[in-house]
Amino acid sequence: MKIPDLYTYLSEFLSPAINPLRLEKGANKDYYLGLDWAEAAALYPKLAEDGFGLIGLFGLEGFRGYEGLSLLYVFEKRNYSGALVIIRRTDSPVASIAAIFPSACYFEREIRDGYGCEFENAFDRRRLWLHETYPANFHPLVKSFKNQPLSLPAGVEDEALYPFKKVSGEGVYEVGVGPVHAGIIEPGHFRFSAIGEPVLNLEIRLFYKHRGLEKLAVGRDIDFGLKIAESVSGDESAANTYAYSSAVEHICSVRPPRRAEQLRLILLEMERLYSHLSDLSGMLTDVAYPVGAAALMALREELMRWNKRLSGSRFLKGIITPGGLLRDIPAGIVNELADYLRVFEGRFNQQVEKALAKTSVVDRFETTGIINNRLLVPLNITGVAARASGADIDTRLNQPYGLYSELAFEPPVLPEGDVMARFKVRVSEVQTSLGLILQTASRLSAGEYIVPLKPQNGYSLVLVESPRGQSLHWLWLRDGKIERYKVRTASYCNWQAIEHAVLGDIIPDFPLINKSLNLSYAGTDL
Amino acid sequence: MKNVLNNIFKPKVCRQMPKGDADFDKLGFALKTEIHAVFGRSLAIRALDSGSDNSAEIELNNLSNPYYDIERFGLSFVASPRHADILIVTGAVSQNMAIAVRKTFDAMPSPKLVIALGDDACGSSIVCGGYGVLGGVDKILPVDLKIPGNPPEPIQIITALLGLMRSLGKK
Repeated sequence: MKIPDLYTYLSEFLSPAINPLRLEKGANKDYYLGLDWAEAAALYPKLAEDGFGLIGLFGLEGFRGYEGLSLLYVFEKRNYSGALVIIRRTDSPVASIAAIFPSACYFEREIRDGYGCEFENAFDRRRLWLHETYPANFHPLVKSFKNQPLSLPAGVEDEALYPFKKVSGEGVYEVGVGPVHAGIIEPGHFRFSAIGEPVLNLEIRLFYKHRGLEKLAVGRDIDFGLKIAESVSGDESAANTYAYSSAVEHICSVRPPRRAEQLRLILLEMERLYSHLSDLSGMLTDVAYPVGAAALMALREELMRWNKRLSGSRFLKGIITPGGLLRDIPAGIVNELADYLRVFEGRFNQQVEKALAKTSVVDRFETTGIINNRLLVPLNITGVAARASGADIDTRLNQPYGLYSELAFEPPVLPEGDVMARFKVRVSEVQTSLGLILQTASRLSAGEYIVPLKPQNGYSLVLVESPRGQSLHWLWLRDGKIERYKVRTASYCNWQAIEHAVLGDIIPDFPLINKSLNLSYAGTDL
Repeated sequence: MKNVLNNIFKPKVCRQMPKGDADFDKLGFALKTEIHAVFGRSLAIRALDSGSDNSAEIELNNLSNPYYDIERFGLSFVASPRHADILIVTGAVSQNMAIAVRKTFDAMPSPKLVIALGDDACGSSIVCGGYGVLGGVDKILPVDLKIPGNPPEPIQIITALLGLMRSLGKK
């Protein structure tokens, strides 16, 4: 698959309205364009029309000589490599673009919480990160706020203060679930409105786990930033530490040694493997096929033990670092892993075949939780969810990083958009990952596994494909310290897809639909 | 009919099952004895996440996978705090979760125990100290046992539980 570069496309697309020479290249394949409010207002609808998706939007202070708040709008055009970053100063009123790019809604609410920036014509002004326990006019991301623990929250009841959408009519009832759920699971609140059995409306309230990670990173050194990346979401440690490390490397113009890149690829794909195994198993649990689920859980446990042997952590924590790896993985272990994975493949395929031969499984999977492909770009739905709804996208291929550009593979794409499609896409990805690991393991280079690096000033955007989909990391280093670190994980975008996927399905199907998307609360709440 | 008869009379073989984990089993059966001595029959645990990175919950869930299958030892995870003897809290208590954590604890019948599981919950992780979290679980609940780790592995969790049961047995 040949990926055209976004820059070439942009130079034609932007002229004559905006001089494309104003585009400045960042440390990676990110192109920055400063716009005033009139230019921006004219450009956004044009971008939307041309199929650009808004994949990130965040604020920062003191950027490029402007002391106030600047907003960075990150756009990606599907199947073009690179990203367009539009810089908007807030010295004049900022209009909401949620009507043009619905994915902006969450982002704008987040910026409003963090900086107190009001968006004109925003249709949703409710708080996002900061629940009602936080005082009014509290904006933790502004520079003048010194990060410190707050006093105990007063006994505020969220209920009265957070207006959920009201659905009324004869026979309509509400079911509220959470934040504390019945299983061993992260907290979040779901408000279903149902009539009879089908769901009429679902509203999700998240951010119960908001830990203030972005603020914690400010003013800290590179090593601390790595710990932050690792804390974003436990089972995405490899993807997030990779993205962070990669951002630092771009800024410092350092290339990790080839051996490190190969081992990183193995770690990233191991993460995809154990993550998908848990989802596949969970989906089988939710349709009452525990025999298959248990077999897949056993395989997953074996993978997690391999993680431990490879990295010292069952969650692949503490190994990927800027410049390479913190420890080497001996070739002997990699070869043993390859031997194991060959056996694993047979056992895995057998279980999947058995599961898909069960009518009770197929019946629950098919036509359940359909994500309409028209939602994909507006909501910026990513990863398995997008590929199972017909989108031919995978960051590993569209924005190749590490060694992915050298390896040939096709993303599995299915058009149906239901639970079954997501199950099958995951199965296919497990097989792809096995292939990628085996290929890489068979030609592991000798040599160094880390190169030294010295912090430089600069900023960089990195996109990676975590097991859940595309994650965006934007890092700005100044004087050896982190000035701003923004993370937007795949879950953050895909949560909004669930609200649409459940419509018309019955409430008992919700756990299955939820599991088929497997979203991280921690990775969303930050 | 043949299937039914086979089900009853033929030996049940599970070739696909893993070999198990001898070290873990040893601890588990010791734990079973202790639980029996202290609680009479079984031990019910309610797990609650108050702001972890989710790896601690994954390990708690793993305790039920075929390798560990912790319910054999008389220990079960329950859905309601009203059924629980022990509350296991994972994660530093976030501002947004503080009320829910308190309410869950209040809903449990006494006597009750609280375990803080993972570095976040123990108050020793990097997320503590900012505006977003109150700190470790001991900031708002009386904690009886801390199990550190990022996250603690299944074997560490069961070792810690065994230690707790032994200390309760002595009282």
